Amino acid sequence: MKRKVISMLLIASMAAALAVGCGGKEESGDAAGGTAGDTAGEENQGNEEQGGGSITFMAPDWAIPTDDQLKAFTDETGIEVVVNEVGWDDIRDKLVTAAAGGQAVADVVEVDWSWVGEFYAADWLEPLEVSDEVKEDMPTLETFTKEGNVLAIPYANDYRLSYYNTKQYEDAGISSEPQTWDEVYQNCKTLKEKGVCDYPFALPLNAEEKTSTYLMWLAYTMNGVVFNDDGTLNKDSVLAALKYEENLIKDELVDPADKTSSGMDAYKRILSGSANFLTGPTSFVSKSTNEEDCSVIGEITPILVPGKDAKATVTMALPEALGVTKFSENKDEAKKFIEWYTSADMQEKLNETNTAIPTRNSVLKKLIDDGKIQNAGAMMEEAELIASPFPGGIPAYYSEMSNSIYNAINKMALGEMTADEAYAEMEAKVAELAAE
Amino acid sequence: MPSLRQNNMKKKILPYLLLTPMILIMGVLVFYPVIATFSYSLKKWKLTAPNDIRVVGLRNYAAILKSDSFWYSFRNTLFILAVVVVLTTVLGFLVSVFLNIDVKWSGILLAVAILPWALPPYVNGILWKFVFSSGYGFMNKLCIGLGLVSRPVEWLSSRWSLLVVVSLVVTWRSIPFMALVCLAGRQSIPEGLYEAARIDGGNRRTIFRRITLPLMLPFLGIGITSTSVTAINVFDEIIALSGYSDLGKNLLVESYLTTFSFLDFGKGSAVTYLVMLFAGILGVFYLRNLNREVEY
Repeated sequence: MKRKVISMLLIASMAAALAVGCGGKEESGDAAGGTAGDTAGEENQGNEEQGGGSITFMAPDWAIPTDDQLKAFTDETGIEVVVNEVGWDDIRDKLVTAAAGGQAVADVVEVDWSWVGEFYAADWLEPLEVSDEVKEDMPTLETFTKEGNVLAIPYANDYRLSYYNTKQYEDAGISSEPQTWDEVYQNCKTLKEKGVCDYPFALPLNAEEKTSTYLMWLAYTMNGVVFNDDGTLNKDSVLAALKYEENLIKDELVDPADKTSSGMDAYKRILSGSANFLTGPTSFVSKSTNEEDCSVIGEITPILVPGKDAKATVTMALPEALGVTKFSENKDEAKKFIEWYTSADMQEKLNETNTAIPTRNSVLKKLIDDGKIQNAGAMMEEAELIASPFPGGIPAYYSEMSNSIYNAINKMALGEMTADEAYAEMEAKVAELAAE
Repeated sequence: MPSLRQNNMKKKILPYLLLTPMILIMGVLVFYPVIATFSYSLKKWKLTAPNDIRVVGLRNYAAILKSDSFWYSFRNTLFILAVVVVLTTVLGFLVSVFLNIDVKWSGILLAVAILPWALPPYVNGILWKFVFSSGYGFMNKLCIGLGLVSRPVEWLSSRWSLLVVVSLVVTWRSIPFMALVCLAGRQSIPEGLYEAARIDGGNRRTIFRRITLPLMLPFLGIGITSTSVTAINVFDEIIALSGYSDLGKNLLVESYLTTFSFLDFGKGSAVTYLVMLFAGILGVFYLRNLNREVEY
C-alpha cells in the first residue's frame, strides 16, 4: 500500500512538473523567450495593475543606466525597466535566435551600426519617430536610417579620430602633427629608425570586424570613397588602402602581435607608448587621461584624421543605438524609454556615469566647453565631419562581406597573399553578395 | 488476487511505461531537432530574405559540397580529429597506468588529473592563448630562454601550427576523461587473470597484449568515441585562439558562421547535418570495431 502511494505521488509530481514545463504563458506584455522573458512577463503583470507597464531592456554593461537613473524614469512614467545585461557579442545571437522563432528577446535592444542592414531586411525593428531638430543634432542617425525609416537611435558616439604621441615626435625631431597618410608613414619610419618606437603604427590585423572597418575608414579618409553605387568595392580606393597597410607590415612598422591579438589590444598599444599613431575609437580620448588605462598620460593628442593631400574631409562613425523589436508587445513603452534614454539631459548624465560619448553634437560641445571631456583635441571638429561610406546604407549582407574582408587582410598580414590577391578575393565576394 | 493473465499483462506493459519518460525527453530534445534541422536544410531560408523561404531539395547540400570553404574546414576538422584522438588515447592510457598505482596520495592525484576536464573550453582556450601568444607568451619566453630560437615564434599565425596548438589544447582537456575510462577498464579486470598468466609464464609484454589490451578495448572504444565527438565539435578553443579567422576554422565554426553570422539557416542546417552524419558514421565505426565480446 505504502509503495503504491509513493508511486502515485511520484507519478503525480512528474506529471505536474511536465505540465509546468510545457505550459504556455498567455499574459500580455512580453513576448520574450528564455529566462529574461519569463521574468519580464511576471513583472509586467504586477506593473500593469499599477498602470505603468513594464519593459525589458537588453544591452551590454556600458549601456546600462544606474539604478537611480532607472528609478527616475519609472517615477516619471510609471514604466518599470527590467534590465538584461548581456555581453555585446551575445546580443546579436540571442536576438537572431529569438526573432527566427517570431519572439522578442527584449522590448528594447542594443543595435550596433553594422547590424542595421540585416535587421531591416529581416524586418526585426520597429520604425521610430524622430523630430527634425534631433536629426539635425545627431549626424550618426543617418547610419540607422534605411529608406527614410529610423530604425534605432544612437546613444554612444564612436567615430574615428586620430591620436599620436607628441613626446615621441619631439624625441625623433618631428616638429608638426601629420596632415596626410604619407606623412604618417614617413614619420613612423623616422620613429623606428631613430629607435624611439619599434612598432609605431597601431593596426588591427587579426581576423575580426575591427580589421574590416579599419580598411574601410582608411580608404574613406584617404580617397573619400569605399563602395561604388552598386555596392561593389571601389578598386582604386580600397586597393590603395590595402597597399598602404601592406607596406606598413613589410617595413615592420606594425607589431607582429597585431596579426593575432584582438583589435582592441592593437589599439591599446598607444596607451602604453608601444605605438605612436592610432586612428581609432573616440573612447581613447578619455582612456588617454585615465591613469588606470594609460601609462603615457599627457603625451597623446587627439587630432583630425589625415587624408590624401591634407586632412580628411570625412570620417566614419561606428555608433551604437537602441531599437524596439518588432515582436515586442510593449512598443509604446519601449519607445518612451528610448526617447528618455537618448534625450540631451540623459546623454549628459550617461557621459558622467558610463563615459558614453554623446551622439547629440550640442551635448558633446557642451561637455567639451565645460571641460567635462578632457584632452578633447580635435574631437568636436571631427564630429562635424561624420559621414557614411555606404551609398545605400549598411547592406543586408554586411556580416558576410566583413568576414570576407577581414580574412583577406589577415591572410595578407600573415604573408599568404599580396595586397592585389587579397583585394581580388574580397572584391569577388563583395561583388557576388551585391549581385544577390 | 490478480489473475495470471493480468500479471503477464502488467509485466509486458511495465517496461514500456518505464521507458516512456525517456522516450518523451529524447523525442523532444533529440529526435525533433534532428528532424526539424533536416527539414530546414532542404529550404532556401535566409533570415534577411523573409519573403523568399521555399523548399529547394538538396541544393543546399550540393552548394556546400562544391564550396572550397567547406572542404578547407573539413580538412582542418580531420587534422584536429586525428591528432587529438591519437594523443588523447596514448596519453590518457599512460595517465591511467600511473593512476592505477596505489599510493598514499592516489585520491589527490586523481582529482588533480581531472582538473583540465572541469575547465570550461573557452577558458581553456584563453589560458593557452597566453602560453602561445607571439608577443608575451610563455612558450616564446621558454624557447628564447633555452636558446632554441632568437625571435618570438608566431605560433598562431600559420594554418598548421595553429591547428597543432588547437589540437594540443583539446587533447589537454580530453586526457582526463580518457584516463578515467581506461582506469575503470583496468580496474575491472580480475586480478586472478594476471596471477594465472604469471603462473603460466607470461611476461609483462605478453600479459599486456593478451589480457590488458583486449579486455580494455570496449573501454577504449567509449573513450575514443567520446574524444572523437569532442574533437569534431571543437568550437570555443578555436574562437579563443584565432577568432572567426579562416585560418583555423573547422566544420563547427563554418556551421556557426553560416547560420548565425550570415543568417542563412538553410545552408547552416545542411552543414550541421553533414557534421552530425560524419560524427555518427565515425561513432558506429568505432563501436563496431572496438566494442567486441572478449573471451577469456
